[in-house]
Amino acid sequence: MSVAVIGMLGVVLLLVLILLRVPIAVALAASGLLGYAAIDGWLPALRMFGLVPYQLASAYSLSVIPLFILMGAVAARGNMAAELFQACNAVFSGVRGALANATIGACALFGAICGSSIATAATFSKVAIPEMRRHGYDPAFAAGAVASAGTLDVLIPPSVLIAIYAIVAEQSLVKLYAAAFIPGFVLAGLYVLVVWIVAAIRPHWIPKVEATPFRMRLRASIGMWKLGVLFFFAVFGIYLGWFSPTEAAALAAFVAIIIAFATGAMGWRGLIDCLLETVYTTAAIFFIVVGAFIFSRFIVLTQFPNELAKWVQVAGLSPAWVLLAVIALYVVLGTFLDEVSTILITVPVTLPLILGLGYDGIWFGIFVTVMCTIGLISPPTGMTVFVIQAQHPDIPVMRIYLGTLPFLVADFVLVALLIFWPSLALWLPRVLY
Amino acid sequence: MRRWRERASTACGLIAAVFLMAMMLLTVADVTLRAAFNLPIRGVYELIELLLAWTFFLALPCVFLRDENIVVNSIDDMAPRFVPLLKRSAGVLAAVILAVMAWQGFIAARDSIEFNDVTADLGLPRFWHWTAVLLGIVGSTLAALVMAFRRRGAP
Repeated sequence: MSVAVIGMLGVVLLLVLILLRVPIAVALAASGLLGYAAIDGWLPALRMFGLVPYQLASAYSLSVIPLFILMGAVAARGNMAAELFQACNAVFSGVRGALANATIGACALFGAICGSSIATAATFSKVAIPEMRRHGYDPAFAAGAVASAGTLDVLIPPSVLIAIYAIVAEQSLVKLYAAAFIPGFVLAGLYVLVVWIVAAIRPHWIPKVEATPFRMRLRASIGMWKLGVLFFFAVFGIYLGWFSPTEAAALAAFVAIIIAFATGAMGWRGLIDCLLETVYTTAAIFFIVVGAFIFSRFIVLTQFPNELAKWVQVAGLSPAWVLLAVIALYVVLGTFLDEVSTILITVPVTLPLILGLGYDGIWFGIFVTVMCTIGLISPPTGMTVFVIQAQHPDIPVMRIYLGTLPFLVADFVLVALLIFWPSLALWLPRVLY
Repeated sequence: MRRWRERASTACGLIAAVFLMAMMLLTVADVTLRAAFNLPIRGVYELIELLLAWTFFLALPCVFLRDENIVVNSIDDMAPRFVPLLKRSAGVLAAVILAVMAWQGFIAARDSIEFNDVTADLGLPRFWHWTAVLLGIVGSTLAALVMAFRRRGAP
């Protein structure tokens, strides 16, 4: 059996195991082990299998993940979301779509710190959806706005998903965070634009809310200070070259704990819950990373990415067609795989292909991350949609999907912007480093 | 049985949480000492790596005991009757895979200890890294087996 056929069979086995409800980490490890053994023999395969967990256990670069998750867990528990929503509402007050835009702004800032789309969507579905419905917003649009804005955390630094991409793609996390900054806020801006367009076309979906007096707006805006402090440590400390990503994550987590204690938003019990939540989430993610590294050793052995790149060259496919195929791949995978698994499974194959076309590894990290935000709201398994539906069972899930459609258009506009204008992502890292 | 599982996972989680907290405090102390007194903590990278290994591997059995592994459950709506069987089979496969990993890890650990493998800066014996790895994988194997053979209908 040729190496290429073994490679294909390995990928098929992986997909079958995943669809048969085998944990993704186990499916990756099992198909990686069998494939490696089929090509190189059992002895080297078993040796690799025993060493990968140890090699990952001593990978300093991975330490950034639990620390950013901890910071997010503390921020989520520390009542920062409600204050931020009020502050953003004060900023947009008096404009049509103010509440929806406040939701987008608050989700962008809170999601960046929280780092979990599910937690962001769950928090804002409690904070923002009742408020929007109370003011006569269309329930599907309100839910769609929260579901879509909840995914902004995946892109806006410090993003855990980008940290995972940096590890698997062996790219600089510092440069990736710099590259994600502008596209992240451009996407938030596009979402705001979507709200204004929808408000113009369907004004009855988004009624105008009375403006808040200036003094109250000023007072509410002060509520942003906590997240401002965290954002400074977690993001600008890295950009300014003061801290490494791990140091920034540790400092931001520490400051988040101090703020939560000082403001009385969290006690010892809350801290223990945050720590437990963090170690459980970290272990689930790391286990997939272990499986993905075993699988990627097998993929490297098959030479599959190089063969694919050669095939593309021989077939004379233009970069545009290859990019379209890559977009289609991520759209399809996004319908049933979570974003961490999507990155870990695909990047070892797609990155060499894209690099072969002359694109940049940092640019591709941002491109893939945007594609993952699309997967988070795509039917049939848009995770943030399900989270909102669980808390608002009276809004049918299909109606929430319809509510996310205008925002999906914005996601694809960002994809197009990244393709036709790569400097959108590459300008800032070029200037800073 | 459920209560026993909860206690075991909370105990493992709490110990892992102590290592996570130590990781955070050590990094904060290093940054502060470096910034204020130009006195960085020697070998902080190696200590963080070791603490990370203990954090991750001690929490790994909890993922199995709490049934929190990331899975694609699209089949649940299509063939709900087969879900319990698929869950059990997946648990057995996970236990087998983890047992093979533990077996091979043990062989590699033995070699590392025989060669007195230590870290470059602080000279920490790699034994401590391997202990975390093997404890986590063996614990996860047992946890996967417990979950695979729990009574039908048990939460």
